Amino acid sequence: MFWPALQGFWLALTSWDGLSAPRFVGFGNFSDMVSDPIFRTALKNTAIWLVLFGGLSVIGGFGMALLLQRERRGVGIYRAALFTPVVFSLVVTALIWRVFYQPDGLVDTVFRTVGLGNFIRPWLADPDTALYAVIVPALWRQIGYVMVLYLAGLKAVDPALYEAAKVDGASAWQRTRYVTIPQLKGVNSVVLSVIVIDSLRSFDIVWSMTKGGPYHSSELLSTYMYSTAFQSTQLGYASALAVVIFVLALAVILGYLIRAFREES
Amino acid sequence: MTGLAVPRSDRRTFLKGLGLLGAATLVPGCATSSKSPGSGSAPSGQLALQSNLSSEQAKAAMEKLVAAYNKTGGSQVKLNTVASEIFRTQLPTYLTSANPPDVYTWYAGSVADSYAKKDLLLDVSSVWDSMGNYSKAMQTLSTSSAGQKIFVPTSYYWWGMFYRKSNFAKWGVTPPKTWAEFVAVCKTIQSKGIPPIGIGLGDTPWVASAWFDYLNIRINGAPFHRQLLAGQGNFTDPKVKAVFTKWREVLPYFDPKGKSFPFQEATSALLAGKTGMFLIGTFFADSAPKDALDDIDFFQFPIIDPAVPVAEEAPTDGYFASKKVQDVDGVKKFLTWLATAEAQEIYVQNSSGTVIPANPDGKSADTPLVQKGKAMIEGAAEITQFFNRDSSDALQPTADAALTKFLDKPDQIDKILKDWQAAAEKVFKA
Repeated sequence: MFWPALQGFWLALTSWDGLSAPRFVGFGNFSDMVSDPIFRTALKNTAIWLVLFGGLSVIGGFGMALLLQRERRGVGIYRAALFTPVVFSLVVTALIWRVFYQPDGLVDTVFRTVGLGNFIRPWLADPDTALYAVIVPALWRQIGYVMVLYLAGLKAVDPALYEAAKVDGASAWQRTRYVTIPQLKGVNSVVLSVIVIDSLRSFDIVWSMTKGGPYHSSELLSTYMYSTAFQSTQLGYASALAVVIFVLALAVILGYLIRAFREES
Repeated sequence: MTGLAVPRSDRRTFLKGLGLLGAATLVPGCATSSKSPGSGSAPSGQLALQSNLSSEQAKAAMEKLVAAYNKTGGSQVKLNTVASEIFRTQLPTYLTSANPPDVYTWYAGSVADSYAKKDLLLDVSSVWDSMGNYSKAMQTLSTSSAGQKIFVPTSYYWWGMFYRKSNFAKWGVTPPKTWAEFVAVCKTIQSKGIPPIGIGLGDTPWVASAWFDYLNIRINGAPFHRQLLAGQGNFTDPKVKAVFTKWREVLPYFDPKGKSFPFQEATSALLAGKTGMFLIGTFFADSAPKDALDDIDFFQFPIIDPAVPVAEEAPTDGYFASKKVQDVDGVKKFLTWLATAEAQEIYVQNSSGTVIPANPDGKSADTPLVQKGKAMIEGAAEITQFFNRDSSDALQPTADAALTKFLDKPDQIDKILKDWQAAAEKVFKA
């Protein structure tokens, strides 16, 4: 299990085209990154992705879970509807949304109907909108997933706590803030890990919608790694990018876990 | 492992199968002893042909071709078709594996030579003994930088500015010959409310490279173009900038929607009369309805500087073989057959018919369009392949980024060329 990973670390220190023998270059790949404008764009976009995709899917997923937690008639339909996108493969999702984004497609029609016709752009081909146009379908899918995680968490909260809070005269907002959220601590760490890992490995949806284009404007670290490895066949540099992604994921998650443990002790 | 399942297999494969089983039991948890399909240990008398011709018509034509060869009584060829994008990324892996497939579909020129430089290809000079009638250009394209023949060309196609005859008649324009006439045609078509020049860059940004290639070979000539793509030039050269200055003159005539969809949809747009002209290779016909094709014609990319020898893009397809093939004679016999006019006609007749046999004696499809294309290529002083084929697949993404950015932000040309040079240097260095 660890052998391929270790090999990846070693390759990160080499220059390799996949055909000849890898040539050792020390930390050359990493120093190249500092002066690589595409790497900087990819890093910035990954940060935007982490904040927007991660943040909005937590807020959206948690909100939906709160709305749909109580057993009411028909609530199952809403839950199922929100969860449906999770079932689709991301490539299928990408295909559906690409049709929406087409010139004169659904998105354009909606904009025209509400009188925002002037804002219409070639969504996926405009460097200013491409990244955000890809985040939307990714969110469309992720919110359902996060919602299910939170629904499970909410089920585990002891109802007696709410009753006690109600007796003490806590408002609905106070009950959420001081009972629900602290009780969900365990779920939160799971959600955070899932979100961070999912953001950093988000690849399929971006690749199938824009391939990181136009001219690298929607490039994430993951897509940049793929195109360097398999299009430019610079496998050493690509491995170095993979190491960066790994370190970032580890740092974010370790940071959170350490804080969580410290609070507990 | 088929050695156990197929009773008629010989003893060697059987033992090999046992060996594999043994190895698998020795290394529990390592279940990856399976090999890529088609790379079987090829007992003599069987050849594996790895093909990237995965579009429906081309695949069917390949099946017919292989079936025809298998009837000739030589080695039995097993066709393995792989989606072209996967084929492209996997080719280095195929060729460097311990037991690679024998024969591969691929492209002539620099993209084949790059594998010859790594000593991965079979020397097929003896196959060329029977190919004396092939043109000089084909010979050069099939020769490695070490001077060996490593490639067998079987067909080529051409690029041109395609249009609908009925629409040109309706708009009252005639095919232009020079750049000035071309700009005039663009102006007329635009005055009818139609975007004159179609393009499809969403998903297929490499289509823009055709414009770069053609403008460069028209303004600076084919030798300069080839050197630039081989890393012996510099993209910040004023001569390269001149290409973009010229290109900028017609930028207002490009279909703005072309950035959003791939070339297949740009083809539909042209056929539906939503754009006027489209610079594309004949492969576009694969995704066009047959009846619309009768109304299609093309003209040569306009001449810009009459002093520059006329070059045309004619990408050449064919086959090469792995250096590690076991049945060298069988492979060479198969390649020799592929080089015959007869074999190439089988392919042409069963595919979309817009490719031209590489063998001068081979008959191409008897349509006016194909005859015109063939005449244009034969009349050209120089032949180029296409951006990626004259350089490498690794350089192509750098062109895609630079050219799509130029189409969006033409005023940033100096910075774009500087970035392109930096990205290209990285590729050449790797």
